[in-house]
Amino acid sequence: MHKFNRLVLNEWLKLSKKRTFFIAYGLLIVMPLAIGYMVHSVAGDMFASGPQFAAEMLLPTGIGQILSILVIIGTAGIVTKEYSQGTIKFLLIRARSRTAILASKFVTVLLYALSLTVVTAVAVYASGMLWFGNGGASLGIGDVLTSVLYNSVYMVMFATMAFMIGILTTSTGVTIGISMFGLTISNLVIFRDFYKYVLFPNLNLAAYEGGGAPLPGMTLGFSILMLAVYFLLFLLAGFMVFRRRDVA
Amino acid sequence: MNQTKYQPEAAGNGKTPIVLQMQGVSKIIKGKAIVNELSFDICKGEIVGLLGPNGAGKTTTIRMMTGLIRMTEGDVLIEGHSIRNDFNKAIANIGAIIENPEFYSHMTGYDNLKQYQRMSDGITDDRMDEVVRLVGLQEAMGKKVKAYSLGMRQRLGIAQALLHSPKLLILDEPTNGLDPAGIREMRDYMRRIAEVEGISILISSHMLAEIEQICHRAVVIQNGKLIAVTPLGEEAQAGGAIPLAIRVGKLEAALVVIHKQSEVQIIRTDEANSEILVSMPDDQVPELIAAFSEAGVRVYRIMDNKQSLEEEFLKWTGGNRIA
Repeated sequence: MHKFNRLVLNEWLKLSKKRTFFIAYGLLIVMPLAIGYMVHSVAGDMFASGPQFAAEMLLPTGIGQILSILVIIGTAGIVTKEYSQGTIKFLLIRARSRTAILASKFVTVLLYALSLTVVTAVAVYASGMLWFGNGGASLGIGDVLTSVLYNSVYMVMFATMAFMIGILTTSTGVTIGISMFGLTISNLVIFRDFYKYVLFPNLNLAAYEGGGAPLPGMTLGFSILMLAVYFLLFLLAGFMVFRRRDVA
Repeated sequence: MNQTKYQPEAAGNGKTPIVLQMQGVSKIIKGKAIVNELSFDICKGEIVGLLGPNGAGKTTTIRMMTGLIRMTEGDVLIEGHSIRNDFNKAIANIGAIIENPEFYSHMTGYDNLKQYQRMSDGITDDRMDEVVRLVGLQEAMGKKVKAYSLGMRQRLGIAQALLHSPKLLILDEPTNGLDPAGIREMRDYMRRIAEVEGISILISSHMLAEIEQICHRAVVIQNGKLIAVTPLGEEAQAGGAIPLAIRVGKLEAALVVIHKQSEVQIIRTDEANSEILVSMPDDQVPELIAAFSEAGVRVYRIMDNKQSLEEEFLKWTGGNRIA
């Protein structure tokens, strides 16, 4: 375990020593404050309370979407940059298996996503309290955390997808491109029966709130199952290819 | 091609322990053998050159040794551990620079080296300092790698390769892109490393002079096949025939003299320079010179024939494909 932790530390340092590392954090602190201010000054009665603002903003339809985009951008380079910089050669000729190395990269992606989520949640909550106050209190901290959970599912699925695409394509640009395209079309709904087996309509579990469903015939349990299947599929494909690929 | 053809028992000479064993390694891509049943050994403390024209399969061979590429057939044993089945133990004995050394350019030399320290077991900070001193990078460790010259990156490359005290150092085209001063510096480093660290070195190159100057033995491959294993430098001359170039006044008269000396073999004559290239035992040289002066042949120069490896190489590889 100590060995694996050191691999994760390596990956985290590679990520965090980039000069652009803090931009994502800065963006996710400034944006909720700015959006809160704008909404407050244009339509002050749109949100009844701070927690309501936070619970809605943190969903994949709000600032949660930007959070996911930033996580995709961060994830896209973690494998592909090793190839494009040529550092993959030194990385793989160590007494560590390729599985361990890739797993440490995935854990780092999750840590990165977690850290961004915490920062965002705090910033959004603070912004909500600042501009809308604690008044009304129809919604509480529990609802905010539920939104964070919904968005985390959405975000981790896209991060895992980007992680796999990065391994398959070894190109940062293509990875970001495909993932962003996926993110964009994920909001489209095709009213055909097969579409419920596609990843996209299952991504936003918040759609089941209040008894709704993204498509007729879909349930929360079905979506969770579909997400688990896709998650494992992405990881399996990524690890199999990374383990077997010749580094030429 | 004849006496230098690879024989398994010839490589190890019984006493010296073998560090690396290539056992019939092949790489077949789409039905084409890039590397074809390659077998050779590297002994402890030996510097071996892997020679071959461009596209001969040198880099593929090295990438298979280091596990970057899977081999289709055969196996590589390092200190007895299979790179296929026991990768972590096998690779722990190898330090390598494959093609250009590439680092995380946004981090300092120290941060980069730390990365590799964390990926191996039991590398102390003292060991890190020692390696940095060995390659002479003390002053540059705090600088970002993007500010490094190619020579400095090569040195950092050597540092990361030596960090875990490997038994075998593998260098793929180590002087690629270096200027003459850098090449010389590199050569000095390699010699020092071999002496100070006492490890075996495998150098792949298509630059013959480079190989000839520092290697004990050359493994020549072409089209993925082993063509020859030949001793180099002092080892080649110990007890055996040495190649000489003799510049004389009159070629015909000199050839008559040489033909009388039974132990002198004529490789070829160079009429333009009035030179004869011969191969002869060391102790016969004074006799030959005496015979020349007796016969009144004027001798202008007697030189070590530095061209020998190049000529042999061209002979082996068919001549026209050297890079």
